[in-house]
Amino acid sequence: MFRRLILWLMLAAAVLSSAGCAERSKATDSKRMAVVISTLNNPWFVLLAESAKARAEELGYEAVIFDSQNNSSKETEHFDNIIAAGYGAILFNPTDADGSVVNVKRAKEAEIPVFCMDREINARDVATCQILSDNYSGCVAIGKEFVRTVGREGKYAELLGLVGDNNTWNRSRGFHTVVDRFPGLKMVAQQSADFDRNTAMMVMESILQAHGDLVGVFCGNDAMAMGAYQAILAAGKADEIKIFGFDGERDVLNAIREGKIIATGMQSPVLMARTAAEFAHRYLTGDHNFPKKIPIAVQAVTRANVDQFNE
Amino acid sequence: MISKQFLRIDSSILRPLIALVVMSVALAFASESFATADNLFNVMRQVSVNLCISVGMTLVILTGGIDLSVGSILALSGAVAAGLIKSGISIEGANLHIGFTFFGVVVVALVIGGALGWFNGQMVTRFKVPPFIATLGMLTIARGLTMLYTNGHPITGLGESFEYLGTGWFCGVPMPVLVAALVVVLFALFMRKSPWGRYIYAIGGNERATRLSGIDVKRVKCFVYTVAGVLSAVAALIVTARLDSAQPNAGTGYELDSIAAVVIGGTSLNGGKGSVWGTVVGALIIGVLNNGLVLLNVSPFWQQVIKGLVILLAVVMDRMNAKDQQ
Repeated sequence: MFRRLILWLMLAAAVLSSAGCAERSKATDSKRMAVVISTLNNPWFVLLAESAKARAEELGYEAVIFDSQNNSSKETEHFDNIIAAGYGAILFNPTDADGSVVNVKRAKEAEIPVFCMDREINARDVATCQILSDNYSGCVAIGKEFVRTVGREGKYAELLGLVGDNNTWNRSRGFHTVVDRFPGLKMVAQQSADFDRNTAMMVMESILQAHGDLVGVFCGNDAMAMGAYQAILAAGKADEIKIFGFDGERDVLNAIREGKIIATGMQSPVLMARTAAEFAHRYLTGDHNFPKKIPIAVQAVTRANVDQFNE
Repeated sequence: MISKQFLRIDSSILRPLIALVVMSVALAFASESFATADNLFNVMRQVSVNLCISVGMTLVILTGGIDLSVGSILALSGAVAAGLIKSGISIEGANLHIGFTFFGVVVVALVIGGALGWFNGQMVTRFKVPPFIATLGMLTIARGLTMLYTNGHPITGLGESFEYLGTGWFCGVPMPVLVAALVVVLFALFMRKSPWGRYIYAIGGNERATRLSGIDVKRVKCFVYTVAGVLSAVAALIVTARLDSAQPNAGTGYELDSIAAVVIGGTSLNGGKGSVWGTVVGALIIGVLNNGLVLLNVSPFWQQVIKGLVILLAVVMDRMNAKDQQ
């Protein structure tokens, strides 16, 4: 009996608190921005979200972060709520290049401008502006650094990210446009490690068993580069195998400073997020002219220039 | 005498065992790097995490339940362990700082794992929430708590004792393998020798009859979820130590790997039938498969297809086996 009473009380509390939220969000005004992020399960995206929110708040807006948990239908629910609540603008990091298009269209119909950050959607003239990381060119730069460091001969391995993700292949293609021009460099293993540190360590351990004589490994993100480093270190080959990452995470910047990892591509989540917030502000203050796409350059970070990239 | 009974192999583990041997022999021919001491230690080290989780999962599944929250519990206990050993607890008002030794951290991690598992058990027994739903709730709760604790950032650089647990050797055996082996032997003995082990089988066989024969079914069930939580924490310590870092998204999808290991090892999802040793074989099959596919540089697309087929094949064989016996 008592137990049931507690359950009812908890339920009532939950309902009341959500009703409270709904009530507050009915006040329609353009002084609020919504930050919709594909996932907060990864420090890189957390930084993207928090930077967007911080910049929006600096500009005098109220900003709320919505986490889509890498799930397009959750994203749709967020858009429903945002449209219903009458937010002024959406700073958007899509979960899926195709699946997210419909959400952006609905926001456009409701006359809410959408600014895509980092990831693009496969549709023209729907988002107000797309501010994108130039993964392809960034990895061309990493490819050049790769050839410069390991030379023109030898076996190497590649760790891919999630094989269903656009960025995985943009990065891989950028890298290969450079490295494939040198026939002496042979890729003996190309495996996916899901952008995940632990998976990368396990995959790298196995690759090392089959190919102990690698000269380098290119990893599609920094988490995988750190995992690969752990495996290579444990195998006692840290001096022979050169590791390359992508993203510019703090761990890897430190590792580059210490010579454990050779290079990474510095994406600029902070710059992308701030740009998106500033564009939204410009839009809301009357300027509706934006280029459809703005690529944000990705710089190669090596030991030579790592000190410019203090956290 | 004792050891003979302890190692007694029942027929349900024979098929997966044969599959494991066939796979290993085939891989030894296909890739010269497979059957080297280095690589086999490698496989065992990689399997040790899944194995710890899967032993707990075996107990839960034997009662006819399921635990989807193991991966999230792993992430939370790993993150807290890493956070505490790195920076301890500071209580600002009292101007107090509590530092933690390695063993202190281990105890805290195991207590967290156990507490969350116990919560699962309470939901299942006291509030009659179906195990699938109760642990699904915990999957999200523990992941959310991990994000709150870590702010979504990894915790890195954990010092020597963690490094030793992850990469050290003891008497010629890698530490993670040693820990997993201890867990396996402990629980294999427990399931065979203790009355509680028998109760677990009995509940999965016929819960009503077990209750009517005077056994406190609720306590036993609550116990198996607690054990699953504690063993997730053990796995968390291994993962964290191996990476020298606690990742907020660690353990995502581990519940599926461990359910696969349990099922491939011949344990019935309906409960009552199966064994810890079967799970060891199941986990090894998954480990050998993961390792072998990479050694042969099989395309990542095909790897997913092949792993799925192996799981299906194992269950189909199990079903045919059950039919034969009827």
